[in-house]
Amino acid sequence: MALDAPLGRVQRWMQQVVVHPGTVEEALAAARVKLAPSRIGQLILPSRTLTPAERVEIYQRMYPLRMEEALGVDYPALQRFLGGDGFRRLVRDYVAAFPSRSYTLNRLGDHLPEFIPTAPGLRHRAFCHDLARLELAMTEVFDEAETPALSPEAVAAVPPEKWPEVRLRPIAAFRLLAVRYPVNAYVASLGGKAQRPPRPGRQDAWLLVFRRDYSVRRLELTRPGHDLLSALAAGRTLGDAVTAAARRRGAAARHTQLHRWFRQWMASGLFAGLEEPEPSTNRS
Amino acid sequence: MNLFNLPDLGIGVGLRTVHFGHILSRRPAVDWFEVLSENFMDTRGRPLWILDQVAERYPIALHGVSMSIGGTDPLDREYLRKLKALAERTRAHWVSDHLCWTGVAGRNVHDLLPMPYTEEALRHTAGRVRQVSEILERPLVLENPSSYVQFAASSMTEWEFLARLGEEADCGLLLDVNNVYVSSFNHGFDPRAYIDNVPADRVVQYHVAGHTNKGTHILDSHSDHAVAEVWELFRRSCRRTGNVSTLYEWDEDIPDFEVLHAEALKARAYREQPAAERLRVARGA
Repeated sequence: MALDAPLGRVQRWMQQVVVHPGTVEEALAAARVKLAPSRIGQLILPSRTLTPAERVEIYQRMYPLRMEEALGVDYPALQRFLGGDGFRRLVRDYVAAFPSRSYTLNRLGDHLPEFIPTAPGLRHRAFCHDLARLELAMTEVFDEAETPALSPEAVAAVPPEKWPEVRLRPIAAFRLLAVRYPVNAYVASLGGKAQRPPRPGRQDAWLLVFRRDYSVRRLELTRPGHDLLSALAAGRTLGDAVTAAARRRGAAARHTQLHRWFRQWMASGLFAGLEEPEPSTNRS
Repeated sequence: MNLFNLPDLGIGVGLRTVHFGHILSRRPAVDWFEVLSENFMDTRGRPLWILDQVAERYPIALHGVSMSIGGTDPLDREYLRKLKALAERTRAHWVSDHLCWTGVAGRNVHDLLPMPYTEEALRHTAGRVRQVSEILERPLVLENPSSYVQFAASSMTEWEFLARLGEEADCGLLLDVNNVYVSSFNHGFDPRAYIDNVPADRVVQYHVAGHTNKGTHILDSHSDHAVAEVWELFRRSCRRTGNVSTLYEWDEDIPDFEVLHAEALKARAYREQPAAERLRVARGA
């Protein structure tokens, strides 16, 4: 006798079985509140070669593979570091905690960096966290809007005395990171080789991930350089941002260093616009 | 011509990342491209920049995997708004998705999950198709899925369900002949009966693809050349529908563009010959 269940109930049952990380028997048992395992034959027909449970199992087996494939696209370095089994375990636990609620798989990995600190049984957690943060920044930058860089003419048009009051607006494809491990060097070392480089030792690093000409780029920064760009990105004036960075850098080196940084950053097209201070008005 | 007066675009292939460079630099003589909607709806980076260039040079149709037209969650209005915007941006000839559901209770499992073919499911799906067509301001085109389970409660065949859905919701049909073959193997029906009974005047596009035979069942893997039986189903269907836009799907172990395109062009041998050519052949010219 066919089970005449409402469509929504059938779908909730099937979804619960499909996303279950255990065997199909465990999945059917977990969904027993919606349908007793003994009644599956009333809902799903057998084929010539497969039982109803084996037929549902086809979907259940494909689910983790699809999640792993999607996250492997966004986190290839983390996948390489953890190896196949380690990454598979992380994906299994992650999608149980943060299942996809979007129409696109491109957003599936958005919460992976925040999940890693509490991921069960994960080794080298701090390194994995930094690696995931870098790879998430890269995917975010990849999909950001293309914003034209500030033109040399716009820069030249600012009178020198006004620069301390100017606010520089970064391009949209711009992410700053402060990390505890040299993950940029680790990612760069992977190349197309299949082997897995060892985890590097702890070493603070500061990074900028940005995009130019539709190509995602990574730039190693010093800590003052990172702080300066952070202050600018937060909307502080150039004068305020430079003063704050100079406290770390030391006054002696700051002028030449700042000049070099800005030349490099402008050449890299990191800024999309600038705001000059409003001209003061005389009141009578 | 189909009920919607949608044109025969010829023989196309799916626009895939691995072929971006080849397509832009070589401008291959492909009749049209099918674009996976969800891959371009949210990005404002390189993929969209590439798509804009492709859409400048080639006809486009959008094909989605996340509409969940058979789902019981409310329709995702934001998704539909973005889909409509992408269709307008690319001047897409039509927008298609699958007869399936992809998740429930706010979750997306990103699979094309099967429907029971019941009166309840038909009423439910037809209502949603009408809503989507209204929002998109164009008829929705739905693809027959490949499936691995059959529901005991189904009171009609899949082709009967599609025919009635077409009537009740006035939607088009993207007939995937490989999916027909896959499901016929998995469920034990005659694929020719399916082909002979879908509403021919609603077919606006074909899919042809390869699959993986696991012995006990066939997986719709899009990973290989199509088998001869699938091409024969395509030929059989073309006799009913006339020439309809045809696309070759290859999504796993994607080969070089030339290999993919050559596989797609095999469709020429199976499509209906134009009337003049048929006459010439008949006269032995």
